[in-house]
Amino acid sequence: MQAGVLDRAAAHLRLPSLLALLAFSAVYAIAVISAPEDAVQGVIQKILYVHPACAFAAYLGFGLTALGGALYLWREDEQYDRLALASAEVGVVFCTLVILTGPIWARGTWGRWWSWDPRLTVTLLLWFVYLAYLLLRSFTEGSTRAARFAAVYGITGVLAIPLNYFAIDLFGGRAIHPENLGRGSLGAGMGLPFALGMATLLLAFLHLLARRLELESLRARDGFPEPQARSGPARAEGSWPT
Amino acid sequence: MNVLLAVLWKDLVSEWRTGDRIVSMLLFSVLVVIVFHFALPADASQLLQTGAAGLLWIAYVFASVLGLNRAFALELENEALSGLALAPADRGWIFLGKAAANTLLLFLVQAVTALAFALAFDVRLGAVALRFAVLMALGALGLSSVGTLFAAVAVRTRYREVMLPLLLLPVMIPILLGAVRASSALLERGALPSPELRLLVVVDVAFLIVSFVLFEYVLDE
Repeated sequence: MQAGVLDRAAAHLRLPSLLALLAFSAVYAIAVISAPEDAVQGVIQKILYVHPACAFAAYLGFGLTALGGALYLWREDEQYDRLALASAEVGVVFCTLVILTGPIWARGTWGRWWSWDPRLTVTLLLWFVYLAYLLLRSFTEGSTRAARFAAVYGITGVLAIPLNYFAIDLFGGRAIHPENLGRGSLGAGMGLPFALGMATLLLAFLHLLARRLELESLRARDGFPEPQARSGPARAEGSWPT
Repeated sequence: MNVLLAVLWKDLVSEWRTGDRIVSMLLFSVLVVIVFHFALPADASQLLQTGAAGLLWIAYVFASVLGLNRAFALELENEALSGLALAPADRGWIFLGKAAANTLLLFLVQAVTALAFALAFDVRLGAVALRFAVLMALGALGLSSVGTLFAAVAVRTRYREVMLPLLLLPVMIPILLGAVRASSALLERGALPSPELRLLVVVDVAFLIVSFVLFEYVLDE
């Protein structure tokens, strides 16, 4: 295996990204705790400092998955496939956080756990697309084939997002999710923790991505076998246990 | 173009001689309609007025998954898939041939299921039959385009029968949404709404282009 630019970058970033993440996390935690409490929503409004930032990271991860897949198909360089895999896994983590934190906030403010709002629906579908993406990888034998299949699905999955959004926005449920925050929509003293949250969670995303990338390139370099794919019924003829 | 027709012809002939897929899809989707009868409350006429289109499309989606799962199963025997991949032709056209065959089969199944549904639940489809056929065709094309691409992927994984719906269902939502909305508007008001129709056409074209381009990498061995 040839170590690509991405592999080297991931290895070099190990310490700097960890230190930056720790420093930012500390400041972020203090900023969130000392941020003023919302007059209407109360303490639950502090999810604001987590939820949109996670959503941003999740969408970034899925964008990188499609980009990595496309670059892999184009250049046939394995490092891009590793990027796609790593960002899909990290993206799923952040998407899960979005889907967990959203309902908590929704219950507190909208009075119900879930609403079939376009944004919520598309994010949920996206989560399913990427779980299927990861399942597809673990159910496909042969690393080149898995990489190619995954790239094809990753690209289609990302293209389906705007179509899904467009379709659901056109005919789907009522939109109750707030639009992107415009200028001045944050109360006094809320801008700083919000910005810190964005920065910290983006750093966390990058740190996890680099670690996952490094793990995958070590695995490729040292020829470690792929983690045993989930056991399923034997496919090849004649391989049934006798 | 010749490649498209050759692959389409090959698939239709082999289907004509065995009838495996069409018969199993038909039986399955008509059975789904019968299951609806038992699943719905006894006095479901109100529900059927508003939900008929949705119920029909559920049966269509399931039938299409069933059929697509078999679309490449035959090609695995005797390494026929490798033969297709080795053919000196643009693989995009091979894809279009397979997708056309799947669309035709699905459309046939849809038509018979719609007839059974209309008779069983006394839904007046006769007056809008032609326009409903257009909707079924557009939906079948959309389902079969990404469906054929994903079927070629799923057939060479473990748990292939499970893999295909997991891959397909979250991606085909725009088609389902457009088709169901347009169908229920057609059944209720007797007119085809244009935003839904436009959505279906746009999504069909987008999925066809993407699958046409990406099929190359799926078949690449």
